[in-house]
Amino acid sequence: MDALAWIEQTRLSVFVREDFYAYFVLLIFHAWGMAFLVGGGVAVSLRVLGVARGTRLERFAGFFQIMWLGAAMAIVSGLGLLAGYPAKALTNWIFALKFACLIGAAVLVWRMGREVFPVAARGEPMPPRARWMGAAALALWLGGVACGKLLLYTNKMLLTTDLAW
Amino acid sequence: MVTQDPILDPVGIVTWAIDVGIYDLMYSAWGWTIAEIVHFTGLCLLIGTVGMFDLRMMGLVKGLSLAALHKLVPFGVLGFALSAASGFMFVVSTPDQYLYNPAWQVKMCLLALAGLNMAVFYLVMAKRVYALGPDDAPPLAARAFAAVSLASWLGVIMAGRVITAFRPPAWFWCAWCG
Repeated sequence: MDALAWIEQTRLSVFVREDFYAYFVLLIFHAWGMAFLVGGGVAVSLRVLGVARGTRLERFAGFFQIMWLGAAMAIVSGLGLLAGYPAKALTNWIFALKFACLIGAAVLVWRMGREVFPVAARGEPMPPRARWMGAAALALWLGGVACGKLLLYTNKMLLTTDLAW
Repeated sequence: MVTQDPILDPVGIVTWAIDVGIYDLMYSAWGWTIAEIVHFTGLCLLIGTVGMFDLRMMGLVKGLSLAALHKLVPFGVLGFALSAASGFMFVVSTPDQYLYNPAWQVKMCLLALAGLNMAVFYLVMAKRVYALGPDDAPPLAARAFAAVSLASWLGVIMAGRVITAFRPPAWFWCAWCG
Protein backbone atom coordinates (compact mmCIF):
# COMPACT_ATOMS: atom_id res chain seq x y z
CA MET A 1 0.00 0.00 0.00
CA ASP A 2 2.96 2.33 0.66
CA ALA A 3 4.08 1.91 -2.95
CA LEU A 4 0.59 2.81 -4.20
CA ALA A 5 0.52 5.88 -1.92
CA TRP A 6 3.94 6.90 -3.30
CA ILE A 7 2.70 6.57 -6.89
CA GLU A 8 -0.32 8.73 -6.06
CA GLN A 9 2.02 11.52 -4.95
CA THR A 10 4.04 11.59 -8.19
CA ARG A 11 3.58 14.56 -10.50
CA LEU A 12 2.20 12.30 -13.26
CA SER A 13 -0.43 10.83 -10.95
CA VAL A 14 -1.54 14.22 -9.66
CA PHE A 15 -1.63 15.59 -13.22
CA VAL A 16 -3.84 12.71 -14.45
CA ARG A 17 -6.28 13.27 -11.58
CA GLU A 18 -6.40 17.05 -11.50
CA ASP A 19 -6.11 18.19 -15.12
CA PHE A 20 -9.55 18.41 -16.75
CA TYR A 21 -8.34 16.98 -20.06
CA ALA A 22 -5.60 14.50 -19.07
CA TYR A 23 -7.82 11.73 -17.70
CA PHE A 24 -10.29 11.91 -20.58
CA VAL A 25 -7.59 12.09 -23.26
CA LEU A 26 -6.08 8.93 -21.76
CA LEU A 27 -9.54 7.31 -21.68
CA ILE A 28 -10.09 8.14 -25.35
CA PHE A 29 -6.73 6.70 -26.44
CA HIS A 30 -7.34 3.63 -24.27
CA ALA A 31 -10.73 3.09 -25.93
CA TRP A 32 -9.26 3.55 -29.44
CA GLY A 33 -6.36 1.22 -28.64
CA MET A 34 -8.69 -1.44 -27.26
CA ALA A 35 -10.97 -1.00 -30.30
CA PHE A 36 -8.10 -1.78 -32.69
CA LEU A 37 -6.66 -4.57 -30.51
CA VAL A 38 -9.94 -6.31 -29.70
CA GLY A 39 -11.45 -5.44 -33.08
CA GLY A 40 -8.60 -7.15 -34.93
CA GLY A 41 -8.80 -10.09 -32.53
CA VAL A 42 -12.55 -10.41 -33.08
CA ALA A 43 -12.08 -10.37 -36.87
CA VAL A 44 -9.39 -13.10 -36.75
CA SER A 45 -11.45 -15.19 -34.31
CA LEU A 46 -14.62 -14.95 -36.41
CA ARG A 47 -12.70 -15.98 -39.55
CA VAL A 48 -11.18 -18.99 -37.80
CA LEU A 49 -14.71 -19.90 -36.66
CA GLY A 50 -15.74 -20.04 -40.31
CA VAL A 51 -17.21 -16.59 -41.01
CA ALA A 52 -16.15 -15.01 -44.34
CA ARG A 53 -14.80 -18.33 -45.68
CA GLY A 54 -14.17 -16.76 -49.08
CA THR A 55 -11.20 -14.87 -47.69
CA ARG A 56 -7.79 -16.48 -47.30
CA LEU A 57 -7.25 -17.01 -43.61
CA GLU A 58 -3.49 -16.44 -43.65
CA ARG A 59 -4.08 -12.96 -45.13
CA PHE A 60 -5.74 -11.98 -41.87
CA ALA A 61 -2.18 -11.66 -40.57
CA GLY A 62 -2.44 -8.20 -42.12
CA PHE A 63 -4.59 -7.23 -39.14
CA PHE A 64 -1.79 -8.10 -36.71
CA GLN A 65 -0.08 -4.74 -37.34
CA ILE A 66 -3.33 -2.94 -36.52
CA MET A 67 -3.57 -5.03 -33.34
CA TRP A 68 0.02 -4.16 -32.37
CA LEU A 69 -0.76 -0.47 -32.85
CA GLY A 70 -3.89 -0.87 -30.73
CA ALA A 71 -1.97 -2.74 -28.04
CA ALA A 72 0.67 0.00 -27.89
CA MET A 73 -1.99 2.71 -27.57
CA ALA A 74 -3.92 0.74 -24.94
CA ILE A 75 -0.82 -0.08 -22.88
CA VAL A 76 0.64 3.46 -22.86
CA SER A 77 -2.72 5.09 -22.06
CA GLY A 78 -3.53 2.31 -19.59
CA LEU A 79 -0.30 2.98 -17.72
CA GLY A 80 -1.26 6.65 -17.55
CA LEU A 81 -4.69 5.79 -16.15
CA LEU A 82 -3.07 3.37 -13.71
CA ALA A 83 -0.68 6.09 -12.58
CA GLY A 84 -3.67 8.33 -11.77
CA TYR A 85 -5.55 5.79 -9.66
CA PRO A 86 -3.18 2.90 -8.86
CA ALA A 87 -5.07 1.70 -5.78
CA LYS A 88 -8.37 1.64 -7.67
CA ALA A 89 -7.06 -0.98 -10.10
CA LEU A 90 -4.40 -2.85 -8.16
CA THR A 91 -6.65 -3.66 -5.18
CA ASN A 92 -9.34 -5.13 -7.45
CA TRP A 93 -9.02 -8.75 -8.63
CA ILE A 94 -11.14 -7.91 -11.70
CA PHE A 95 -8.13 -5.93 -12.96
CA ALA A 96 -6.03 -9.11 -12.88
CA LEU A 97 -8.84 -11.02 -14.57
CA LYS A 98 -8.98 -8.39 -17.34
CA PHE A 99 -5.27 -8.87 -17.98
CA ALA A 100 -5.58 -12.65 -17.87
CA CYS A 101 -8.36 -12.53 -20.47
CA LEU A 102 -6.51 -10.16 -22.81
CA ILE A 103 -3.17 -11.96 -22.52
CA GLY A 104 -4.88 -15.32 -23.01
CA ALA A 105 -6.68 -14.02 -26.11
CA ALA A 106 -3.46 -12.53 -27.51
CA VAL A 107 -1.57 -15.79 -26.96
CA LEU A 108 -4.32 -17.72 -28.75
CA VAL A 109 -4.23 -15.34 -31.73
CA TRP A 110 -0.42 -15.65 -31.81
CA ARG A 111 -0.72 -19.45 -31.77
CA MET A 112 -3.33 -19.33 -34.54
CA GLY A 113 -0.89 -17.24 -36.56
CA ARG A 114 1.89 -19.78 -36.04
CA GLU A 115 -0.07 -23.05 -36.21
CA VAL A 116 -3.26 -22.49 -38.20
CA PHE A 117 -2.35 -19.79 -40.73
CA PRO A 118 0.49 -21.87 -42.35
CA VAL A 119 -1.91 -24.83 -42.70
CA ALA A 120 -4.44 -22.55 -44.42
CA ALA A 121 -1.71 -21.11 -46.66
CA ARG A 122 -0.88 -24.65 -47.88
CA GLY A 123 -4.55 -25.16 -48.72
CA GLU A 124 -4.94 -27.96 -46.18
CA PRO A 125 -8.05 -28.29 -43.98
CA MET A 126 -7.86 -26.50 -40.64
CA PRO A 127 -7.07 -28.71 -37.65
CA PRO A 128 -10.10 -29.34 -35.38
CA ARG A 129 -8.49 -27.43 -32.50
CA ALA A 130 -8.49 -24.26 -34.61
CA ARG A 131 -12.20 -23.71 -34.02
CA TRP A 132 -11.76 -24.16 -30.28
CA MET A 133 -8.94 -21.66 -30.35
CA GLY A 134 -11.10 -19.20 -32.29
CA ALA A 135 -14.06 -19.61 -29.93
CA ALA A 136 -11.86 -19.30 -26.84
CA ALA A 137 -10.08 -16.23 -28.23
CA LEU A 138 -13.41 -14.54 -29.04
CA ALA A 139 -14.72 -15.28 -25.54
CA LEU A 140 -11.51 -13.99 -23.94
CA TRP A 141 -11.43 -10.76 -25.99
CA LEU A 142 -15.02 -9.96 -25.02
CA GLY A 143 -14.36 -11.14 -21.45
CA GLY A 144 -11.46 -8.69 -21.21
CA VAL A 145 -13.71 -5.85 -22.35
CA ALA A 146 -16.42 -6.89 -19.87
CA CYS A 147 -13.85 -6.90 -17.05
CA GLY A 148 -12.75 -3.41 -18.07
CA LYS A 149 -16.31 -2.16 -17.59
CA LEU A 150 -16.75 -4.13 -14.36
CA LEU A 151 -13.70 -2.31 -12.94
CA LEU A 152 -15.79 0.87 -12.78
CA TYR A 153 -18.36 -0.74 -10.51
CA THR A 154 -16.32 -3.11 -8.35
CA ASN A 155 -13.43 -1.01 -7.08
CA LYS A 156 -13.10 -0.90 -3.31
CA MET A 157 -11.27 2.42 -3.25
CA LEU A 158 -10.15 5.20 -5.57
CA LEU A 159 -7.08 6.31 -3.63
CA THR A 160 -5.11 4.90 -0.69
CA THR A 161 -6.34 7.88 1.33
CA ASP A 162 -9.81 6.32 1.11
CA LEU A 163 -8.55 3.83 3.72
CA ALA A 164 -8.89 6.60 6.30
CA TRP A 165 -12.65 6.19 5.95
CA MET B 1 -34.18 24.40 -17.29
CA VAL B 2 -35.61 21.16 -18.66
CA THR B 3 -39.26 22.27 -18.68
CA GLN B 4 -38.44 25.06 -21.18
CA ASP B 5 -37.62 22.48 -23.86
CA PRO B 6 -40.30 22.89 -26.57
CA ILE B 7 -39.47 19.61 -28.33
CA LEU B 8 -38.13 16.99 -25.95
CA ASP B 9 -39.80 16.01 -22.70
CA PRO B 10 -37.24 14.42 -20.34
CA VAL B 11 -39.81 13.99 -17.57
CA GLY B 12 -42.20 12.26 -19.97
CA ILE B 13 -39.39 10.02 -21.24
CA VAL B 14 -38.31 8.90 -17.78
CA THR B 15 -41.98 8.40 -16.78
CA TRP B 16 -42.36 6.09 -19.79
CA ALA B 17 -39.14 4.26 -18.77
CA ILE B 18 -40.59 3.74 -15.30
CA ASP B 19 -43.94 2.55 -16.73
CA VAL B 20 -42.36 -0.05 -19.03
CA GLY B 21 -39.85 -1.27 -16.42
CA ILE B 22 -36.62 -0.11 -18.09
CA TYR B 23 -35.91 2.34 -15.28
CA ASP B 24 -36.20 -0.30 -12.54
CA LEU B 25 -34.09 -2.71 -14.59
CA MET B 26 -31.33 -0.12 -15.09
CA TYR B 27 -31.29 0.87 -11.43
CA SER B 28 -31.29 -2.70 -10.16
CA ALA B 29 -28.06 -3.93 -8.55
CA TRP B 30 -26.24 -4.82 -11.80
CA GLY B 31 -28.50 -3.18 -14.40
CA TRP B 32 -26.28 -0.28 -15.40
CA THR B 33 -23.12 -2.42 -15.29
CA ILE B 34 -24.57 -5.12 -17.55
CA ALA B 35 -25.91 -2.50 -19.96
CA GLU B 36 -22.42 -0.97 -20.16
CA ILE B 37 -20.86 -4.37 -20.84
CA VAL B 38 -23.43 -5.01 -23.59
CA HIS B 39 -22.80 -1.51 -25.01
CA PHE B 40 -19.04 -2.06 -25.26
CA THR B 41 -19.36 -5.66 -26.48
CA GLY B 42 -21.46 -4.29 -29.31
CA LEU B 43 -18.84 -1.66 -30.10
CA CYS B 44 -16.12 -4.35 -30.18
CA LEU B 45 -18.14 -6.41 -32.66
CA LEU B 46 -18.74 -3.28 -34.73
CA ILE B 47 -15.07 -2.25 -34.89
CA GLY B 48 -13.98 -5.89 -35.31
CA THR B 49 -16.09 -6.23 -38.44
CA VAL B 50 -17.06 -2.89 -39.98
CA GLY B 51 -13.84 -1.26 -38.75
CA MET B 52 -11.67 -4.04 -40.20
CA PHE B 53 -13.65 -3.90 -43.47
CA ASP B 54 -12.94 -0.14 -43.55
CA LEU B 55 -9.21 -0.72 -42.97
CA ARG B 56 -9.12 -3.20 -45.87
CA MET B 57 -11.02 -0.77 -48.09
CA MET B 58 -8.59 2.00 -47.13
CA GLY B 59 -5.80 -0.21 -48.43
CA LEU B 60 -4.08 -0.59 -45.05
CA VAL B 61 -4.66 -4.35 -45.15
CA LYS B 62 -4.14 -6.23 -48.41
CA GLY B 63 -4.89 -9.60 -49.94
CA LEU B 64 -8.49 -9.98 -48.76
CA SER B 65 -11.52 -10.07 -51.05
CA LEU B 66 -13.84 -7.27 -49.99
CA ALA B 67 -16.92 -9.21 -51.12
CA ALA B 68 -15.93 -12.15 -48.91
CA LEU B 69 -14.77 -9.92 -46.04
CA HIS B 70 -18.19 -8.25 -46.14
CA LYS B 71 -19.59 -11.50 -44.69
CA LEU B 72 -18.27 -10.23 -41.34
CA VAL B 73 -20.52 -7.18 -41.47
CA PRO B 74 -23.72 -8.89 -40.15
CA PHE B 75 -21.82 -9.34 -36.88
CA GLY B 76 -21.22 -5.59 -36.96
CA VAL B 77 -24.95 -5.05 -37.41
CA LEU B 78 -25.54 -7.31 -34.39
CA GLY B 79 -22.97 -5.26 -32.47
CA PHE B 80 -24.68 -2.03 -33.47
CA ALA B 81 -28.05 -3.42 -32.38
CA LEU B 82 -26.60 -4.36 -28.96
CA SER B 83 -25.03 -0.91 -28.55
CA ALA B 84 -28.14 0.91 -29.75
CA ALA B 85 -30.47 -1.05 -27.45
CA SER B 86 -28.26 -0.57 -24.39
CA GLY B 87 -27.65 3.08 -25.32
CA PHE B 88 -31.41 3.64 -25.59
CA MET B 89 -31.79 2.22 -22.07
CA PHE B 90 -29.14 4.63 -20.73
CA VAL B 91 -30.85 7.64 -22.29
CA VAL B 92 -34.44 6.89 -21.25
CA SER B 93 -33.30 6.12 -17.69
CA THR B 94 -31.69 9.52 -17.19
CA PRO B 95 -32.63 11.62 -20.24
CA ASP B 96 -31.59 15.05 -18.94
CA GLN B 97 -28.00 13.77 -18.53
CA TYR B 98 -27.82 12.83 -22.21
CA LEU B 99 -30.19 15.00 -24.26
CA TYR B 100 -28.49 18.26 -23.21
CA ASN B 101 -24.97 16.83 -22.96
CA PRO B 102 -22.63 18.31 -25.63
CA ALA B 103 -20.62 15.09 -25.91
CA TRP B 104 -23.77 12.98 -26.42
CA GLN B 105 -25.06 15.41 -29.06
CA VAL B 106 -21.73 15.20 -30.91
CA LYS B 107 -21.88 11.41 -30.61
CA MET B 108 -25.35 11.34 -32.19
CA CYS B 109 -24.20 13.64 -35.02
CA LEU B 110 -21.24 11.32 -35.73
CA LEU B 111 -23.57 8.32 -35.60
CA ALA B 112 -25.79 10.02 -38.19
CA LEU B 113 -22.72 10.77 -40.33
CA ALA B 114 -21.63 7.11 -40.14
CA GLY B 115 -25.14 6.00 -41.12
CA LEU B 116 -25.41 8.47 -44.01
CA ASN B 117 -21.94 7.53 -45.27
CA MET B 118 -22.88 3.84 -45.14
CA ALA B 119 -26.15 4.44 -47.00
CA VAL B 120 -24.43 6.37 -49.81
CA PHE B 121 -21.66 3.73 -49.96
CA TYR B 122 -24.18 0.93 -50.51
CA LEU B 123 -26.04 3.01 -53.10
CA VAL B 124 -23.13 4.13 -55.27
CA MET B 125 -19.97 2.16 -54.45
CA ALA B 126 -20.59 -1.29 -52.96
CA LYS B 127 -21.02 -3.18 -56.27
CA ARG B 128 -17.76 -1.79 -57.67
CA VAL B 129 -15.91 -2.72 -54.51
CA TYR B 130 -17.29 -6.28 -54.38
CA ALA B 131 -16.07 -6.87 -57.93
CA LEU B 132 -12.45 -6.25 -56.87
CA GLY B 133 -10.04 -9.15 -56.47
CA PRO B 134 -8.19 -9.83 -53.20
CA ASP B 135 -5.10 -7.96 -54.31
CA ASP B 136 -6.79 -5.12 -56.20
CA ALA B 137 -6.45 -1.63 -54.75
CA PRO B 138 -9.84 -0.03 -53.99
CA PRO B 139 -10.67 3.16 -55.93
CA LEU B 140 -10.02 6.51 -54.28
CA ALA B 141 -13.74 7.13 -53.67
CA ALA B 142 -14.05 3.81 -51.83
CA ARG B 143 -11.05 4.70 -49.68
CA ALA B 144 -12.73 8.01 -48.84
CA PHE B 145 -15.95 6.24 -47.82
CA ALA B 146 -13.91 3.88 -45.61
CA ALA B 147 -11.94 6.74 -44.04
CA VAL B 148 -15.13 8.67 -43.23
CA SER B 149 -16.70 5.52 -41.79
CA LEU B 150 -13.73 4.64 -39.57
CA ALA B 151 -13.24 8.26 -38.46
CA SER B 152 -16.96 8.50 -37.62
CA TRP B 153 -16.90 5.35 -35.50
CA LEU B 154 -13.71 6.42 -33.71
CA GLY B 155 -15.39 9.78 -33.14
CA VAL B 156 -18.45 8.01 -31.72
CA ILE B 157 -16.15 6.17 -29.29
CA MET B 158 -14.35 9.40 -28.37
CA ALA B 159 -17.55 11.37 -27.74
CA GLY B 160 -19.00 8.46 -25.78
CA ARG B 161 -15.96 8.36 -23.52
CA VAL B 162 -16.30 12.03 -22.55
CA ILE B 163 -20.05 12.05 -21.87
CA THR B 164 -19.32 11.97 -18.13
CA ALA B 165 -17.07 15.03 -18.46
CA PHE B 166 -19.82 17.18 -19.98
CA ARG B 167 -22.78 16.35 -17.76
CA PRO B 168 -25.59 18.87 -17.24
CA PRO B 169 -26.17 21.11 -15.38
CA ALA B 170 -22.47 22.12 -15.41
CA TRP B 171 -22.61 21.71 -19.20
CA PHE B 172 -25.91 22.34 -20.94
CA TRP B 173 -26.45 22.43 -24.70
CA CYS B 174 -29.92 23.01 -26.03
CA ALA B 175 -29.86 24.96 -29.30
CA TRP B 176 -33.59 24.25 -29.81
CA CYS B 177 -34.66 25.54 -26.38
CA GLY B 178 -34.60 29.19 -27.41
